[in-house]
Amino acid sequence: MKSNKKDNKKGGLSIKSRLLLVVVATITLEATAIIQFVFAQREIKQEASLRAKSELTSAEHKIMDVVNQAEAAVRNSIWVAEWCLEYPDSLHRIPQRVVSENPVVVGSTMALVPGYNAEHPLYAPYVARDLETGKLRTLSLATEEYDYPSMEWFTKPIELNDSYWSEPYFDENGGDILMTTFSMPVKDKNGTIAAILTADISLDWLTELIGDIKVYPNAFNMVISRKGNIMVCPVETLVMNTTVDQFAMESEDYEALDRVNQAMLSGQSGEMPVRYQGETNHVYFSPVERTGWSMSIVLPEKELFSGVRRIGMIVKLLQLLGVAMLIVILRVAAKNQAKYQSLNEQKERIENELHIAREIQMAMIPKTFPPFPERKDLDLAASIIPAKEVGGDLYDFFIRDEKLFFCIGDVSGKGIPASLVMAVTRSLFRAMSAHEDSPAKIIASMNDTMSESNESNMFVTFFCGVLDLNAGHLRYCNAGHNPPMILTDAIRMLPLEPNVPLGILKGMDFVEQETTFNYDDALLLYTDGLSEAENAAHEQFGESRVEEALHGRKSAEAHLENIKQKVSLFVGDAPQSDDLTILFIHYLGNENKYPHHLTLHNDIEQISLLPEFVETVADQAKLDPETTMNLNLALEEAVANVISYAYPKGTDGLVDIDASVVEHKITFVITDSGIAFDPTAKEEVDITLGMDERPIGGLGIHLVRTIMDTVSYERKEEQNILTITKSY
Amino acid sequence: MEVNITRENNIITVRFSGRMDTPGAQEITPKMNTLAEEADKTIILDCTDLSYISSSGLRIFLTLRKAAADKGGKIIVRNICDSIRSVFMMTGFLNLFEIQSAK
Repeated sequence: MKSNKKDNKKGGLSIKSRLLLVVVATITLEATAIIQFVFAQREIKQEASLRAKSELTSAEHKIMDVVNQAEAAVRNSIWVAEWCLEYPDSLHRIPQRVVSENPVVVGSTMALVPGYNAEHPLYAPYVARDLETGKLRTLSLATEEYDYPSMEWFTKPIELNDSYWSEPYFDENGGDILMTTFSMPVKDKNGTIAAILTADISLDWLTELIGDIKVYPNAFNMVISRKGNIMVCPVETLVMNTTVDQFAMESEDYEALDRVNQAMLSGQSGEMPVRYQGETNHVYFSPVERTGWSMSIVLPEKELFSGVRRIGMIVKLLQLLGVAMLIVILRVAAKNQAKYQSLNEQKERIENELHIAREIQMAMIPKTFPPFPERKDLDLAASIIPAKEVGGDLYDFFIRDEKLFFCIGDVSGKGIPASLVMAVTRSLFRAMSAHEDSPAKIIASMNDTMSESNESNMFVTFFCGVLDLNAGHLRYCNAGHNPPMILTDAIRMLPLEPNVPLGILKGMDFVEQETTFNYDDALLLYTDGLSEAENAAHEQFGESRVEEALHGRKSAEAHLENIKQKVSLFVGDAPQSDDLTILFIHYLGNENKYPHHLTLHNDIEQISLLPEFVETVADQAKLDPETTMNLNLALEEAVANVISYAYPKGTDGLVDIDASVVEHKITFVITDSGIAFDPTAKEEVDITLGMDERPIGGLGIHLVRTIMDTVSYERKEEQNILTITKSY
Repeated sequence: MEVNITRENNIITVRFSGRMDTPGAQEITPKMNTLAEEADKTIILDCTDLSYISSSGLRIFLTLRKAAADKGGKIIVRNICDSIRSVFMMTGFLNLFEIQSAK
């Protein structure tokens, strides 16, 4: 009992149950084989019967074809024969005609009834075809030896007053050819039978035709005449020598043979079993119309079922083999049981460790959302949906000096190696970005460190960005990662330079790129676990579905949930094969920083557009008309300066004016791309000078300085930026 | 920006109407340059209908004033509104021009 219990615990089988399994399997196999055998036998019998019947029918059609030709040869000449009765000298022409015009006919006679013609008491001209040369010769049957009026072919049609097929016979003149004769009475005007017209046909084609029917290799066929004479049979000595009756007398199953014989002689068709020489035979028989013949096909049962017996043997052999294999498998399985058990335990332990590794890995990346609740200019959400194994996806972000440093990456491969590389990558990112603001430099130094110690040839696709939260300016660098999507007025891919992934080659240069975020712009970073998520039909989620999922303005968290839900719906029950990582950054800085904007060409006439622009700014600040006019004046002077000095005459350039009203302070920022020109560098005009000393120019910048509180100039990125402010 | 010049007994009256901003000033500069040749006379700059002036306009006023000083003429600025007066103040023009009010 104890060992039994142990066996059960391990999920193994006791010897008893193993034995039972073998016995049940054997019995089942045997029963199946027997049922199959019985059904197969029945099928084969039916099949054989169908085939025999169809062969018999087909043979009968062929025989009837010849029989019909012979009958037609005689019937078609009857009218001529009747007509010729009055001209006895021409009577020999009738058989001539019958033979010459009908190839199946080998001989014919027109035999007068004795005494019908006074001149010729016995008259029977016979025309025969020489079977070798094909020539016709004419003989007379009216000889003493032959005595035609006593012949069956002559007496029977007169007796029946109808046509008649004679019992087959061996032709005495033409050698060993089996023949049969069709005879028909010829009547005169008074309806009295005056003569008999005949056609002889050879039956050697019949032997061939019947012999050719081979339903099964050892089957044989027979034809018997109406008197029971064997006309065709495989044993040639029996032909026209023995009746079936005589043959039956000598056999062991006389009754059965006699039954077949009687049925055949009475023109029936059917099928009967007969025992002969210790074997059961199946006899299929069918009559031939008009001639009184009957054909039969004899099938030895042994032969009939030989195929099925062979298959049965093979099945038995396979069964034995199967049972033997079953026994072997059961033995091996029992032996391996213990081995599997320990392997399973090992696997469980490894899985458990992987799980812990995963948790440590996840603890490294920021997971509290929203991560910066105090910041109004940034809404951020991120998530990693891990595949079953630990994976190599990562994201990270932090804020330093009013800049958001963020990254996303995907380590090649899976499992523990990938997760270790992921941990290293994340640490390197933190280390390199602690004192460096340029994403390209951060990536380059990460790459150098990783390439140096990369013996396993693993690499990381990595995207790093640094977003200036005040100005919305984004610097980024991509090392072989899939392009993030940027959400501005439209959704598009962030333009990317093709840099190689991290860890491939030391000393690589990485191209840095930049763009500017406006209020409400957003960025979606993801790993290919998202775009390549597959459903059961192996279709990928794809970038177009990612883009579709991004439509509509939502919080970062809501965007994230929406994308996750869409992917999960798409994937359905298909197993997740790769980590799926999403980082969504929604920029809300720069809001209303400069809500008023005007762009002018460097044409003095464009200054007429300023009053309306200043009016809108003044409306927001609710300024009185005088202050409004002063602001207009200051702005005009500043802009006129740019138009006159920054752009050389004849060139086309733009002047951008941004304006804001924040906390009782009005700010104008005038930007142009002209030559460097600092209006604040001009010497201050002295308005106390008298008429003679007063210079004509310099009043403009003086007015700007007087009206505004601050005037500051900056030359940055090939641009003149003049910022003027006034508090009210 | 419109300018209407009338002459009566050696007194030239110039009536400005509209905004004398940078393009406005540019528009009337040729006329004003011609007028500067007659700066030996008394020129009244009537600003009743002038609503705005920028440094370009001020420059025209200053050019005429200098011409008058050279040729012994006289420039009188008449009827400036409060906002233009404040511009004149900011630029020290109140000291350079004789300013008359209609009242």
